[in-house]
Amino acid sequence: MGSNDLKYEVSQNAYIKLVLHSLKHPTSAVNGVLIGRISSSNDTVEITDAVPLFHSQIPLLPQLEISLILIEEYFSTKGLNIVGYFHANERSDDFELGGVAKNIGDHICRYFPQAAILLLDNKKLEALKKSKSSSAIMQLYVRDASKNWKLVQSDANNRFSLKEPSANVILLDYISSEKWNDIVDFDDHLDDISK
Amino acid sequence: MVTKTEESELKNLEIQVDNGGGGAWEYLSLVRKLKVRRSDKVLKHGLSILNDSKLRSKLGADEWTLYEQVAVAAMDCQCLDVAQDCTKALRKRFSESKRVGRLKAMLLEAKGSWEKAEKAYSSLLEDNPLDQIIHKRRVAMAKAQGNISGAIEWLNKYLEIFMADHDAWRELAEIYSSLQMYKQAAFCYEEVILAQPTVPLYHLAYADVLYTLGGLENVQTAKKYYASTIDLTGGKNTRALFGICLCTSAIAQLAKGKNKEDKEGSQLQSLAAKALERDYKQRAPDKLPQLTTALKSLTLSS
Repeated sequence: MGSNDLKYEVSQNAYIKLVLHSLKHPTSAVNGVLIGRISSSNDTVEITDAVPLFHSQIPLLPQLEISLILIEEYFSTKGLNIVGYFHANERSDDFELGGVAKNIGDHICRYFPQAAILLLDNKKLEALKKSKSSSAIMQLYVRDASKNWKLVQSDANNRFSLKEPSANVILLDYISSEKWNDIVDFDDHLDDISK
Repeated sequence: MVTKTEESELKNLEIQVDNGGGGAWEYLSLVRKLKVRRSDKVLKHGLSILNDSKLRSKLGADEWTLYEQVAVAAMDCQCLDVAQDCTKALRKRFSESKRVGRLKAMLLEAKGSWEKAEKAYSSLLEDNPLDQIIHKRRVAMAKAQGNISGAIEWLNKYLEIFMADHDAWRELAEIYSSLQMYKQAAFCYEEVILAQPTVPLYHLAYADVLYTLGGLENVQTAKKYYASTIDLTGGKNTRALFGICLCTSAIAQLAKGKNKEDKEGSQLQSLAAKALERDYKQRAPDKLPQLTTALKSLTLSS
């Protein structure tokens, strides 16, 4: 089975962390890595956790390298790998996967060939407050055979799903209680390592 | 750019005002002076002063400055009716003012009427070609519409006139970085370092860009700038310490045949590694094991 048939499942923990991170820094682009594993039945990539990375100086290499090394260290002791990358663009109407995101995705693919990129869908985020949809507000990109990142249509095949369907409800709750202030990303850590 | 003391003063005032302890006007004045972006708080506290006629009359002539500050904050938070009200009040008082004209144009920009805003800004600039804020609004509009090349063009024109505006150089460098035009970004940082050589932030950013560019010479120069950052910050900058470790292993990889830099390079790296470990031990002991393994892997690969 090639990566064309792999399903991707995001746990509530990872999902909420990533969205809250982007809400904490509404004026800049943010990114993060996805942590997880391939399921034992070999058909699903389970994204169990996420580490928010940066909200500034995203395109620069040194801090990315350090963060990936440290994260890989920390999670390999728990049997998990870096399985993907998350990106949220600076502008709310920007739905393209930028060059930087693609490069980072390619880099992660070298270590985990079935890696995916998740891009925050800002329109769905806005609509979330009004509708009670339970589908994820992100777009999934996977690499096809010609090494290009392609968008996976969110309705077809149910390839991208939230593990717990109530994730969006909890997310709304956290948004209204401004829980994003508790999110500490790698940028914050580098500025003050006690975080 | 805010110093640490200013930042903590601001935070203390913020907490005080948030918890109803008064001092809103001091907080707003500090925000204005430091030019930080705290639009939701400014909006909340500014409105509470403006809506209370007693507090408002206490301000005297400063009332109008507050109207302007709240109007801009409201636009940032997309509360356009509040912004409109403030602008109207200002217009009644100062009907011919260019500053109010600027606010009106910003309101158009906030609403998304790009063309009308563009026209308004151009006519304002004709009367007043040296108004920095309007120039910057034009760049911001281009960026907001996704017209990055337009933003770069406007920003370059702006910098031809106002070469000393460091924030503008930084903004340009960040735009170039996001487009992966790292060479141009490096040039911008070089300009600010020339102008303000004692600000460690610029050295750090320049070193980051050079490292990202890659190539033996660039990485060697990057190492020098990380070292100068450490010098300027007294060894407290975690990013620079990490940067040194990364640079040394990168140089060792790139210069496998040459033996010149080995001794000096590895000394610097082990000093940096020791400093990092000491820091983590003191302030984040639970993260120490990962750090040690990571540092080992960096030295091993060199």
